[in-house]
Amino acid sequence: MATAVGTLDGHEAVAARYHDVDPVYAETRDLRLTGFILFLLSDCVLFSSFIFAYVYLRTSAPAWPPFVGGHQLPWFDTSFAAFNSIVLFGSGVTMHFALENWKHLNKRKFNLWLIATIILGLGFLLGQAHEYSVVGISWAGSTMGASFFTLTGMHGFHVFVGVCYLTILGIQANRGVYTGSKYFGLTAGTLYWHFVDVVWVALFFLFYLW
Amino acid sequence: MTEAVIEKGAAFAGAILVGVTALFQLKNDWAAQGLDALVTKILLGLMAFGCVLALLAALNVLGARA
Amino acid sequence: MHAGTGTTHDAHDVHDHIHPAPEGFIRKYVFSLDHKVIGFQYFFTGVFLLLIAGSFAELVRLQLTKPEGAIMSHNAYNEMFTMHGTAMVWMVLIPLVTGAIGNFVMPLQIGARDVAFPWLNMASFWILPVAALILFSSMLFGGPHAGWTEYPPISLADGTAGALWCMAIFVIGISSTMTGLNFMVTVMKMRAPGMTWTRMPLFVWATFATALMNMIATVALSAAVGALFLAHVFNVPFFDAARGGSPVLFEHMFWFYSHPAVYIFIIPAFGVISEVLPTFARKPIFGYKMIAFSSMAISILAFTVWAHHMFPSGLAPWLQLPFMILTYAIGIPTGIKVFSWMATLWGGRIHYTTAMLYAMGFLITFTFGGITGIFLASVPVDLHMHGTYFVVGHFHYVVAGGAVMGFLAAIPYWYPKATGRLMSERIGQLSFWLFFWGLNGTFLPMHWLGLEGMPRRYASYIDFAKANPDAQFWNQFETVASFLMVASFALLVFNLLWSIKHGKIAGINPWGARTLEWTISSPPPYYNFKKLPHVYGRPYDFDQPLPYANTDNELDQYPEYGKVLMPIPTPAPVGAGA
Repeated sequence: MATAVGTLDGHEAVAARYHDVDPVYAETRDLRLTGFILFLLSDCVLFSSFIFAYVYLRTSAPAWPPFVGGHQLPWFDTSFAAFNSIVLFGSGVTMHFALENWKHLNKRKFNLWLIATIILGLGFLLGQAHEYSVVGISWAGSTMGASFFTLTGMHGFHVFVGVCYLTILGIQANRGVYTGSKYFGLTAGTLYWHFVDVVWVALFFLFYLW
Repeated sequence: MTEAVIEKGAAFAGAILVGVTALFQLKNDWAAQGLDALVTKILLGLMAFGCVLALLAALNVLGARA
Repeated sequence: MHAGTGTTHDAHDVHDHIHPAPEGFIRKYVFSLDHKVIGFQYFFTGVFLLLIAGSFAELVRLQLTKPEGAIMSHNAYNEMFTMHGTAMVWMVLIPLVTGAIGNFVMPLQIGARDVAFPWLNMASFWILPVAALILFSSMLFGGPHAGWTEYPPISLADGTAGALWCMAIFVIGISSTMTGLNFMVTVMKMRAPGMTWTRMPLFVWATFATALMNMIATVALSAAVGALFLAHVFNVPFFDAARGGSPVLFEHMFWFYSHPAVYIFIIPAFGVISEVLPTFARKPIFGYKMIAFSSMAISILAFTVWAHHMFPSGLAPWLQLPFMILTYAIGIPTGIKVFSWMATLWGGRIHYTTAMLYAMGFLITFTFGGITGIFLASVPVDLHMHGTYFVVGHFHYVVAGGAVMGFLAAIPYWYPKATGRLMSERIGQLSFWLFFWGLNGTFLPMHWLGLEGMPRRYASYIDFAKANPDAQFWNQFETVASFLMVASFALLVFNLLWSIKHGKIAGINPWGARTLEWTISSPPPYYNFKKLPHVYGRPYDFDQPLPYANTDNELDQYPEYGKVLMPIPTPAPVGAGA
């Protein structure tokens, strides 16, 4: 990792990517990005712990869905969940477009795609609310309910926080807090939203396809 | 047309639309440098994989109860 | 213009930026963003809670002076050892070794002006008093009774107190996770120019390895106590066998964190020892790279051995062998360190300061505790020893004789830097001997009592005493010895307070040590370094000039401490424009 005079490494490379070539901002952004990625990693551990619990309980259960009071609980409805998943994945793509447009300094399109993302995110949450009302099992009644509601509930909470976060970002972006070259908040919001999406890929598989 | 068929149809169409778009964006961004770009590429790829899962679910290949 | 790896820094980059001084009492001492002040805050809070948790332990010891239980009901006894363990693990040890020492020392050692996220640092601290309040408030509701491990289903009988216990642990977990993240980013990104990974002081390596574990493992704990909380409040059946759940699941989730937790206690202490020994033996640390990499190895392996706490629990039998082998394996990097430290002392010119005494005491008591851990790693042995005093003896040797001993070494070592005054050597030495003999007296007999089958967490041991007539004697012996430790802590508190006014003025580098914190004034200014030092070597070569350029105090380049050194011509300093 030796550097010769004139080559770029580390912070200089980061700074050079920014039109303003502001090394102070570049360094702060570097710190914040690293911190944010580590935060997402720790959030991964949170979901992984509960996923471990679910897999442990399911693989050690004598039957799945488990029997409660003599009756076997019903499986989940894959078709609705598949549709709701696409709603959420779609919101990930729209958020990507929003950020791209910001980078190309197109504020109007940024706003449109951001609003689309928020609407799709809320749509997902409504879909989850519907799913909770028709799923036919309870949180406290069985390990199936315990793991399902805890994991999807945690995920739904993350989606809700994400929707709030994106809304605040939208307001701030329109108040001029971010510029064409200084928009780390938007980057972080996008990464968080993609993360929430990918967690759902795992949960969709684990609860609906397995 | 039962609800399930509508949902599956919408999921199928959506999965193709969203998945293809995600992969297309991934291709466009492939050369981008930096930690945030790397993480974005990974997550976009995983999202596209999620669309594949939803597609297979819509076709009753996966998750047909069972 | 570049010095090996690392970066050049222009005058206007963020590392060089000195923000204006904080003003007002609240900003300076209450809601401070300065890692040094936050370190002090953790220190005071942690020591205060140490005294409380320690008095619970004394109540436990008093109870055990009679086989039928001397002073309290069984219920109260259960509450005492539960609160002792819980408070010590989460409200004392982790805050003190990471929050107090880590916060104060690490940024200074890497030549930084603060941590990566100072506001997050402040928030992490303020969570501690809140969590402690929640924990102690549980005692108003009867208190938790099932031990610091609070296994369900028995812990579910704790009711509101149990739910509050879960809440307190969850809350303090947020603090630990944030601190871990903060320290990781700081070490990765904010080292002084020229300080490559293999030029970092070993305490920084230790902080980094600890921060990694803190950040990853604590979240798993939050999941475990979160699930337990849901069981308490919403009757969610993760751990209820009647509804398909499993108590063993809780043990898996809990110990996946709690095993790395014990390494979180000890690795900062290892880092302290790695700093103290070379300084007072006037010798470079032996095996720098081995010690640095073994810290990282331990930090990774720590995640693979948790089930050794679960051998008799109904764990799947096929898991016992792999966990046993991995547990033996994790002893190896630690053993490497112990041998490296001993080799550091060999042939050195030893100065028996208080910090050095604690460090050498550590070598004895921690190694002893580590060895009994190897005994327990064996499944057949553990099946007999689990739940006996042998385990209690083992972990107190590594925790009190390891982590606490390391912490007690750090205090006299860095107190002069933090306050500008040296602590009293006489009181310090007396404190050490009281602590050392108190510790050995309290925890050594536990090993043979455990081997003979004395069960832990029992408020009375009448049956055991009938079969072992000397049981009461040894318990009383342990209780008396424990008061030596009480005296030691009383002297420590006195020393801390007395030395503020009456300690000798320390100056910049009273120990002749070589890490970066000893190149700035004692106490340091709020911005730490007026000029960012440039680093071009490791800090442990005691007969060389300091491997720094551009330090704030050029005159103190060559530490004396009783020996005059001839300056050896150095390469042109970094950044001088050569």
